[in-house]
Parts: sequence; C-alpha cells; structure tokens
Amino acid sequence: MNTVKQGTKFTQDFKTYAIENDSGKVVSFFHDIPLQFDPATRTANMVVEVPRWSNAKFEISTSQPGNPIVQDVKKGSVRFVKNLFPFKGYIHNYGAFPQTWEDPTTTHGDLSVVGDNDPLDVCEIGLRVLQTGDVKRVKVLGSLAMIDDGELDWKIIAIDIEDELAGQLKDIPDVEKHCPGLLSSTRRWFRDYKLPDGKPPNVFAHDGIFLSLEKTVQIIQQCSNSWKRLIAGEVTSAKSLPATENVSNSGSPKLIQSFDLVANDYKGEGPIPPEIDKSYYYL
Amino acid sequence: MSYTTRQIGAANTLDYKVFIEQNGVPVSPFHDIPLYANKEKTILNMIVEVPRWTNAKLEISKEQKLNPIIQDTKKGKLRFVRNCFPHHGYIHNYGAFPQTWENPNVSHPETKAVGDNDPLDVCEIGEQVAHVGQVKQVKVLGVMALLDEGETDWKVIVIDVNDPLAPKLNDIEDVDTHLPGLLRATNEWFRIYKIPDGKPENQFAFSGECKNKKYAEAIITECAEAWEKLIKGEIDPKDIDLTNSTLTTTPSYSTSVAEEIPAPSPLAAAPIDKSVDKWFFISGGHH
Repeated sequence: MNTVKQGTKFTQDFKTYAIENDSGKVVSFFHDIPLQFDPATRTANMVVEVPRWSNAKFEISTSQPGNPIVQDVKKGSVRFVKNLFPFKGYIHNYGAFPQTWEDPTTTHGDLSVVGDNDPLDVCEIGLRVLQTGDVKRVKVLGSLAMIDDGELDWKIIAIDIEDELAGQLKDIPDVEKHCPGLLSSTRRWFRDYKLPDGKPPNVFAHDGIFLSLEKTVQIIQQCSNSWKRLIAGEVTSAKSLPATENVSNSGSPKLIQSFDLVANDYKGEGPIPPEIDKSYYYL
Repeated sequence: MSYTTRQIGAANTLDYKVFIEQNGVPVSPFHDIPLYANKEKTILNMIVEVPRWTNAKLEISKEQKLNPIIQDTKKGKLRFVRNCFPHHGYIHNYGAFPQTWENPNVSHPETKAVGDNDPLDVCEIGEQVAHVGQVKQVKVLGVMALLDEGETDWKVIVIDVNDPLAPKLNDIEDVDTHLPGLLRATNEWFRIYKIPDGKPENQFAFSGECKNKKYAEAIITECAEAWEKLIKGEIDPKDIDLTNSTLTTTPSYSTSVAEEIPAPSPLAAAPIDKSVDKWFFISGGHH
C-alpha cells in the first residue's frame, strides 16, 4: 500500500489517496483497504489519519468517491484541534478501521444512540509517531463509548503490533500498568477537546469505563457487519450515506473498474495559522 | 533595539550555530545583551534557546567566542530531551537571561547548593511558540529552585510582555489562576526529565514550591552581580569565553571579534532520528 498526495497540505484542496503497490491503482481507504480482523489474535488493519502531537484534523472523506484522507472543514476553514494543556495536539496516532461503519440508522444494543455514520475510530497508543495514510496491523486492547452530539462514536484502543510495547499489552489493565496515566488522559482529552471551540464537554456511555477486549471484539464485528450491509447496498436512509464506490467488493452495486486517474501534484505544506500554538487550560 | 539571528549550518547537526546580531553585527547573548530592557527594570530581555514542544537541547555555548547557541552533545552525539508522558519535548519556551551567571563558587544560603556555572535559566509561558535565538521582552513572575545533580539551577518563570495574558499575570499566584496546572506540570517535568536517560529523579528546594516575584527578583539581582564580577575579571572564568563587542570598559572587550564570526550559511534542518519521537511512561511521575 502506498499513497499519492494532491494539492497543498493544510488547505481544502489537499487529498491523500491510497494506491495499490503493484498496479498503482487508486483504492478507497474506506472500502478497499481490507480490515482483515482476526478474532483469534485480535488484530486488524488500521488507517492512520492524524499523527500523534499534530493538530490538523485529517480524516477519511466519507462523501468523496475514493474516500481520500482530507482535512475536515468547519465554517469554510480547515480544522485544527486546539492544544489542551498539558497535551500537544492529538495524544495518539489517530485513525480508523477500514471496512467498518457506525450505522446511523439503528441504535446500538444497550445504548439508545445511533452511530455517527463514520468508520470506527482507533487510537493507536504505541511509542512511535505514525504518518497520515499509513496502514498498520494493530492489536485491539479495549474501547471507550463516546457520545458526541447524541451520536455514538466508539474509540477503539489499539497498538501497532510492531511497537516495542505490543508484546506486553493484551487488555485494558495492561495499558494501565505499562502506560500509567494514558487511559485517564485519553478520557479527559476526548471529554474536553471541543471546549476551546465553545462546545460543551463530550459524555461517555458506561460511566466512561474502558470496555474490555471481549466487548470490543463484538463492537468491531458489529461495525464490520454494518459496513457489509452498506457496501452491498442494503441500507436505505433519509440521511446521506457514505460514497461507496470501490474497486474490490464483488456484488457491490458501486463496484467500479477504476477511479479516475489522480494527478500526482503535491505542492508541499501551506502555513499553519500561528494561533494553533496556543494552549488552553481547564481545571 | 533590534536583534536578529545569524545561522550557520543545519539544525540537528553538530555544525549548527545561531549567533545573535544587533543591527547586523554579532554580539554575545551571554555578555552583550542587556539584562534589563527598561529603566524601571520591570521588563527583561530573555534569549530563547529551545522553542516549546521541541526536543533538541540547544544552549548558549559558554566556551565559544560570542557564545552562539549550539546543540548540547553527550559522548559526541547530539542531545535531545526525551518525551515523558503526557508531555512533548519542552513544555515552555526555554532559555536564559543575558548578563547573569550562577556562581559555582558560592553556596546559596537557602538551597545550600552551589550555582551551576550557567546563565540563569528562564521558562517563558506565553501562548506563542518562540524561535531559536529570539530575544524576548518578558516580565518576571516567580522562580523554582531545581537541585540538579547537587547544584542549584534556578528556573525563573516569566511571560512575554506582548502575550495577551501578560497584563493579568503579575505574580506567581496569578499563574495558577489563569493557567491552572502549569506550575504543577513544570515541577513534574523538571523532576522526571532525565529519568529515561537512567538518571535519578531531580529534587526541588522549598518542597517544590514556586517562590514569588519578589524572591525571583532577588535571585536575578544576585546572578547579575555574579556576572558583573566575572566580566570585570574579578573571578577566574575558567572555560567561559568573556569576549564581547559592546562593553568597552571590560578587559575582554574586542573591537574585532565580530569580524571573526563566520558569514551566515543557513541550511534546512536535518531530519531528527525517529527514536526521539518515543514516548516514555514514568511510574509515579504523572499525577
């Protein structure tokens, strides 16, 4: 797997597409990169959207065919998360599981909230910094059920299987033992990260407890099944559903031969606004 | 007064040097730049060595002529501070006060430890990320007494006078009001930052308490007086290079030193080894 970049980084025209190594063919980060979830080893493929310690909110576009990684736009401007003291930018390598979907048309089991219409979010907690567009094999450890504006937005905790800590982490209690402070910081980060934008704190289901590996495996399987219905064209909704054009899912109504050729015209980085340096302090 | 920088080589290499210039002429950030930026002595000049959220341990070279900022080395290798969770690199714009010196021959009556032979260290807490060699005008808020391997290493807490918060911060208690958690994080950071390198936890005098502005001003005065003795030739400077280009009455004044400084040759920063990205979790370090 490789990537091709377009446009100027930190502007609205910047896009990163996934490219198949052998053929050089564009594939969808959302629908063509395989999840390959193995319940026995609890490993799966993750697409990295935001490197740790950076602020630009990059994410897989659910609306654009080919689902490139783009920078989220709010009120006409590219979006950066604010620094929540003592943190700098994101505190994990943040990304998503391909071929998963949080279904916005049904409520989740015991929780009376619908999914957020996005792929499942993943926080990779390894000691290294990963890069936007990386596809990494990760080991699943647990999860946190965030409720964002009334929608369910799971945060799966996982670690790159090549990370030096991976061998020591099997479940949530191991994270607490080997990465003291990380879980409480994770909860605090997701609770407060929109406060600088004048929004209320986010809330969590299950009193903010991190769910164990067992429960988390079920969540991934559910979201994998939701995605299978989505890609098969079995979901209908008044809501606008993700673009499902893909080049690898036989039987999908949106299976296509190839995406239009993407020009390799990366123009380098644009400036990051200086106000992104500011830290915000909350007790 | 307008200060600029003259860069030699690429950041993150052994060749990298940043000289400070005044109106285009190289000066020493240790000796030539005045400590006080106004007559009332309420605004001070600070030399930025390390921008916030970076890891390269850059510091004013005491030994080289006109004291350029260079990257510290250990056993011939460039030194980077480690990331101790939840922090990334330095958590302040870190630097030094010009025309100050922590005298290693004198033991402080309260900390009972001698000075560390360096200019006085400064932590600037404003919202902007500074750049290497920037000369900032700052106001003093307080001071912490780090005991680093048996030496007193004062850390003066300041804020850029142009920061939006500066009018609200006048003494150390205002920092806790407007930047809650910052002083505690500062304490934690300095205690644990050498643990990943196999060193013991650092200690603070005064049970880690941050002393107020008045106390800090007394320490600054003391260190300014020590530097004055040094520059007048009253104390053996040992390895410290005292050459300066503005202090005409000092024995180390030189009219020609600026000409000996190499012409600018800035290069793009070299890549930093990936190992510097590593995050360290310190048991009991994080509260």
